[in-house]
Amino acid sequence: MECAVGHGWLALPRNTLMNGWDLMNYWAMRKQPVYQVGQLTAAFMMTLIAPVFAATLEISIVDANNEPIPNVAVYVTQAGATIADAPGLTVMDQRDTRFEPHILVIQKGTAVEFPNSDVIAHHVYSFSKPNDFVLPLYKGNPHEPVLFEHEGIVTLGCNIHDHMLGYIVIVDTDIFGLTDEAGTLSVVVDGSKGAATVNIWNPRIRDKELTQVVAATSKSVAFSLKKKLLPAHDPDTEAMLWSEY
Amino acid sequence: MVGILKVPTLILLALASLTSATLAQSEPARYHLNAGLDVSYIDASGHPSWLEGSAGKLRYDGDNDGLLVSRGYVEYGYRLADTLTMNVNTEMYLEDFSPTLDLTEAYVEWRPIPRSANRYQLKVGAFYPRISLENSDHGWSSPYTLSSSAINTWVGEELRAYGAELAVSRRPAALGGAHKFSLHASMFYNNDTAGGLIAWKGWSLHDRQSRLGDEVPLPPIPLIQPGMWFDAQDPFITPILEIDDTYGYYIGAEWSINKRFLLRATHYDNRTDPLGYEAGQFAWETAFDQLGVKATLPGDIGLIAQWMDGYTVWGRLTDGIHAVDVGFESQFVLLTRSFDRHRIAARYDHFEISEQDQIPLDENSENGHAWTVSYRYAISEKLTLAAEWLEITSNRPAWAYFELAEKKTEQQLQLTLRMLFSRH
Repeated sequence: MECAVGHGWLALPRNTLMNGWDLMNYWAMRKQPVYQVGQLTAAFMMTLIAPVFAATLEISIVDANNEPIPNVAVYVTQAGATIADAPGLTVMDQRDTRFEPHILVIQKGTAVEFPNSDVIAHHVYSFSKPNDFVLPLYKGNPHEPVLFEHEGIVTLGCNIHDHMLGYIVIVDTDIFGLTDEAGTLSVVVDGSKGAATVNIWNPRIRDKELTQVVAATSKSVAFSLKKKLLPAHDPDTEAMLWSEY
Repeated sequence: MVGILKVPTLILLALASLTSATLAQSEPARYHLNAGLDVSYIDASGHPSWLEGSAGKLRYDGDNDGLLVSRGYVEYGYRLADTLTMNVNTEMYLEDFSPTLDLTEAYVEWRPIPRSANRYQLKVGAFYPRISLENSDHGWSSPYTLSSSAINTWVGEELRAYGAELAVSRRPAALGGAHKFSLHASMFYNNDTAGGLIAWKGWSLHDRQSRLGDEVPLPPIPLIQPGMWFDAQDPFITPILEIDDTYGYYIGAEWSINKRFLLRATHYDNRTDPLGYEAGQFAWETAFDQLGVKATLPGDIGLIAQWMDGYTVWGRLTDGIHAVDVGFESQFVLLTRSFDRHRIAARYDHFEISEQDQIPLDENSENGHAWTVSYRYAISEKLTLAAEWLEITSNRPAWAYFELAEKKTEQQLQLTLRMLFSRH
């Protein structure tokens, strides 16, 4: 049996999608831990006073050809479950004129930094109301993190490089992640609470039925999409030079 | 070479050398400057070049064989604000034709931050109409070949918009973000003589762009010789000129899928009064449609193809017939593949001009095709070595006026060392 702190703790490496090197750089850069100490302490206290029945739920997603779909945002809400506080900060990097990661899932109330790891300047914006914002033309990491306080999909762009496209999925739950190459994701739910509502999202998915409700004790839930996926956003090609506009 | 550097080029070079490089690493560059020089070895055979006052289709003829400086350019961009940039491009050639300045383009571009899924862009100034899918490198050169296709050579010779271009593009969320649709429209002045070269000189393939104010030689066609009907026309044409004070326009639409596929359709009409005349220059009414596609094929092979079909008319109507009335059409297909620092490209051009008028001594029809094969090697970021073989076979009855064979295969070998200087 796992304990409730698992929710918040497991969520970080999964939803930031940073590799070890990035994470070390990131920490070195910020000179502060990503987690607030108080937060961890509170979570730890909770494990002492309120043990819960953690259950692992595996979500798997396949397309109309039965092929797994990686990089799908998955988030689970559960009636009656306690939602841990949002982790303080996470990162949406810009590297090789791409947003890294292409899709970032965060809990409502998380602040996101947008460092520019390219040598050229970027001008990041989103027109996705009410989470719209603009970071004036910059290099490095001069801007304050952007705090996302509303649920929804944020489409990111760069005003200089029109092909740059990224998404932030803001969810009101602490159970979320992205599917791996096998099209699967394991999350931990509270087996003692109500039914789990599993939601999925990816810009390539055209199906309308993107939600399934399962019992909190379910071991797995599978999504079989009916419609063909839209083409992936893939700005890479070596064959030709493309102007930005 | 120094003698043909004009004021803007010198100012730009001075600006670049004076601007301090003390910007913090994290600060976005205020300007960018790319300057280049092409030193070429030429071995050409064909009719004497039109740029020498004759009618051959190539930039060079046997007289130019050997080493020469084929091109110099300076491209300068200055950021006035985060969303507002000024761009000034200059080209320098040994065939100078006395433009007041060396400018090929000078415009301000505004790219406001999108407030919805629609993105707007506005260009104001003097710029290339959005036609070429080929000339995407510094200074409107092609990254694939040294010469441009027949279509884009003509764009470089005669087309320029003095005005504004508004473009709106959108990535419909329902299509997943890979697809982008754009519409663009421009109103412009100063393109009233566009068409003269295509009618009287025909299609060409080369890398020389007309500068704003260039007086480009016309072949010595009979109609404009002293004592003939249209001897009021100068022996040269000023391609970028306003005569009738009426605006022209172009409109276009684009569809792209990521950076892998682009389809563009354009309609251009300079809406010029073909009876217009001012100070040695007659006006040409020119309109065309063009379709272009750019795609990455399996095996990372790049494809560019463009098709253009239009007409140009000039001079007084006689029983509903203009003195010059020609239809022009051309297509090309270019295939290219890069291997690390190496790039190969091959292009096939077909071109045609059909005569609609009956005026004697002014036969302007032609048809022909061209093969271009090119190899380039990026020695370093600053040095590129390029080799190109170009062969144009054409049939142009008007060549008989100049005592040249009506059918001719013209060939040109060009080896170029391109030196690039960049500052940010």
